[in-house]
Amino acid sequence: MFTFAIEGWRAWAAGIHDELEWREWAQAPFCPSMAEDSVPPLAFLPAMQRRRLNMMARMVFDCAWPLAQGRSAMPLVYASRYGETARDFELLLALARGEPLSPTSFGLSVHNAVAGQWSIIRHEMTESVAISAEGDGLEHAFLEAGMLLAQGRDEVLVVAVEERPPLAYCPWVDDVPFSHALAVRLKAGTACSLSLAPGGEAAAAPLLPGALQWLRHLLSGASSWRHQAAGREWTWALNP
Amino acid sequence: MSALEQEIKVLIIEALGLEDIAPEDIDRETALFGEGLGLDSVDALELGLALQKRYGLVMDPETRNMSQHFANVANLAEFVAAAARPA
Repeated sequence: MFTFAIEGWRAWAAGIHDELEWREWAQAPFCPSMAEDSVPPLAFLPAMQRRRLNMMARMVFDCAWPLAQGRSAMPLVYASRYGETARDFELLLALARGEPLSPTSFGLSVHNAVAGQWSIIRHEMTESVAISAEGDGLEHAFLEAGMLLAQGRDEVLVVAVEERPPLAYCPWVDDVPFSHALAVRLKAGTACSLSLAPGGEAAAAPLLPGALQWLRHLLSGASSWRHQAAGREWTWALNP
Repeated sequence: MSALEQEIKVLIIEALGLEDIAPEDIDRETALFGEGLGLDSVDALELGLALQKRYGLVMDPETRNMSQHFANVANLAEFVAAAARPA
């Protein structure tokens, strides 16, 4: 079992940004339309630093930047199940048309691209971890964070992010109803615990993506809940 | 300033996502890389590709003085115009 203290969190989805909006959403979850304010503007960055940040990176920076601002170096654990699928699909389409690939886009078409951009723009020399797991990517990210804290890190930043995949992927991707990101800053403590046990089958189609389900539990004031993934059962507990 | 130079300024802004820069902010003699506009090596590749797509330029490793051709908008316009002229 791993234990943590949650020092702060932020999340982003179209039209849902601050804590009050997320609390309202958590009481009656809905699927926001992308039309509202589709791209986080990141006004705190100079335009020259923003220009290569795609939707994934912008959602992560919007959530994580205020949590890291003014604090000493902290490792980043980046979790995304589908990662740069939207970017990669564009590259595949260009290849199919026989067009040369954009060097910028090609260079950023890897799973740790956002973690790398975070490191470059923040001058963050500490390590980062990029993971891609199934529906329980957030739990794996907390596990990773727990190990970093156990190694003596003061604080760890966990981010979980998914972008709504291109239409062509929709028959196979049923767990990203809308683009979203969650960032959580953790330190050593006992207020929150996470344990893992062997489990059965995962629920066929989860109602909400893992990170947002987690946020909903957190905001509901629940003291304990379970998350079932393929062969794994995670138990979360919050100790007041 | 030639129409081609204006066109290349717009191309630079669009290809490299320079959202806060207008064509008139780029002087024809301003250095594009390093000091000046502040572009980097990835921008050089991206810009090369954009020129290739727009003007059908072929940039093979044999092309000489490449860094000079890419130094500023004036040089780029000359380079594009010369490449478009039949030899």
